[in-house]
Amino acid sequence: MAKSIETGAPAIAATPTPSFFRSDAFVQIVIALSALVGWELISRALKLDFWVSSPIAVALEFQSWAKTGQLLTDLKLTLTEAGLGFVIGGLIGGLLGFVLGWVKRLGDLFEPFILSIYTLPKIALAPLFVLWFGIGVLNKVMFSSMLVFFMVFFTTYQGTRQVDRDLVENARLLGAQRWDIWTKIAIPYSAVWVLTGIRIGLPYALIGAIVGEFVASEAGVGYRIKEATSFFNTAAVFAGLVVLMGISLTLLMLLRLIERRALAWQDAKGVIRIDDTA
Amino acid sequence: MLANPQPQAPPATQPVPREEVICFDGVVARFGSLHAMGPTSLTVGRGEFLAIVGPSGCGKSTLLNMVAGTLRPSEGSVRYKGREVEQINHDVGYITQKNYCLPWRTVEANVRLALEFRRMPEDEIRQRVAEAIRKVGLNGFEKAYPKQLSGGMLQRVMIARTLAYGPDIYLMDEPFGSLDAQLRTRMHGELLKLWQDTGATFVFVTHDLQEAITLADRVVVMSKRPGRCKLVLDIALPRPRDVIDIQSNPAFGAYVKELWTALDVH
Repeated sequence: MAKSIETGAPAIAATPTPSFFRSDAFVQIVIALSALVGWELISRALKLDFWVSSPIAVALEFQSWAKTGQLLTDLKLTLTEAGLGFVIGGLIGGLLGFVLGWVKRLGDLFEPFILSIYTLPKIALAPLFVLWFGIGVLNKVMFSSMLVFFMVFFTTYQGTRQVDRDLVENARLLGAQRWDIWTKIAIPYSAVWVLTGIRIGLPYALIGAIVGEFVASEAGVGYRIKEATSFFNTAAVFAGLVVLMGISLTLLMLLRLIERRALAWQDAKGVIRIDDTA
Repeated sequence: MLANPQPQAPPATQPVPREEVICFDGVVARFGSLHAMGPTSLTVGRGEFLAIVGPSGCGKSTLLNMVAGTLRPSEGSVRYKGREVEQINHDVGYITQKNYCLPWRTVEANVRLALEFRRMPEDEIRQRVAEAIRKVGLNGFEKAYPKQLSGGMLQRVMIARTLAYGPDIYLMDEPFGSLDAQLRTRMHGELLKLWQDTGATFVFVTHDLQEAITLADRVVVMSKRPGRCKLVLDIALPRPRDVIDIQSNPAFGAYVKELWTALDVH
């Protein structure tokens, strides 16, 4: 019985290491730098800085924010709102999605209601949330959790519903008790979908916090952007956008890391064969 | 019995009647208004290798489900070791064409599943898993994930998973149906060895007559729906059997012919 493990590894090792100047990373850096230089040049040449600001003006704005400590204060506030919203919405959404997805009867009963709420553009609820929760942190947390909730809930619900019932039946034949089915089949199975939901829902945590701050607030990155706009301070608006971009990217990378550890089996590569040879 | 003189001399001593393990007593399966199977009566002896063949939809799998306790007969009764099967029967191992590997578990972790369900001590689990994996020839692949494995290997995982908890009865529902012919023949050899090693009772459903004759002590032919036992044929081929050589045994062809005639519904 010949055994072999074919993986992608040898193929990669066989190709010579490309030089840095031909690597994707280098090209990407070049693209980013040219975009920044282009932005600066066009802004200066066409005197567009009132409309589109310029990288240097944005950098200066950052400097002044850093000096006054305002950047950190705003960042802290917005991150707290988004973070709490994410945790609350994610937990409730994941749990409820799991239960309704797994207990088929409950899912059948509630599906029309869930669908009708799901299709509502939830941003439209923002003013109502001000009425309910005021203009403080609570409002943003609630709004953000609501958005995250729906994302995580729906993904988990739909994913969990697709579980192969034969898999459960087979586990029962193998001697699984109700508890085993939940812990060893249902939860690991749904974990994939909860994580997918979380990945989709993550940006919504930030969207919730920012929209909340746009609608009514006194501080935070979203408030800063809105305030800068009303003072025609384009540089500050762009600085705020850059901050948001930074936050999103960081969170996404964090999530990738978690996913890679939790779902290692999905990344398993290579095909193992021992059947070809008699 | 065979129409032509039996080419194989019958064994000098008649086999001792086997102790009855499974007994179908006039079982009937109805699904709504559909009369799917029966009434069928059949007994399976301890340590026997019984094959059931028949056209699609004749209720072959239904018989297995009744032994496993996932389906109650509409009429009649199924007894396992003298007691009526009323709930899921944990003494059976059920292997089908479909693979029920949990994709997030490695080969090893999949094989130990039933042992975890049975709350076995960790030491025993490890020992049994290692042994089962060795017996199906999966050693070296303990840490692989199902998606890395080919169909034949997945089927080995399913067999190892069953083997690990050592059921008294193996219910097999076309377990090699999705494998290519060569691999299938090889799996037949391994299965026969397993049957001999474990001394367990095997009930093997297939629509492949050659497969049934190669493996079984007795072959049951079922009629088309509603499926009934049409013929029970003793396969008096010597054991241990070589899955390749046995096909050139003159009796083999005669058995194929007889089963084929019995199957033919027209």
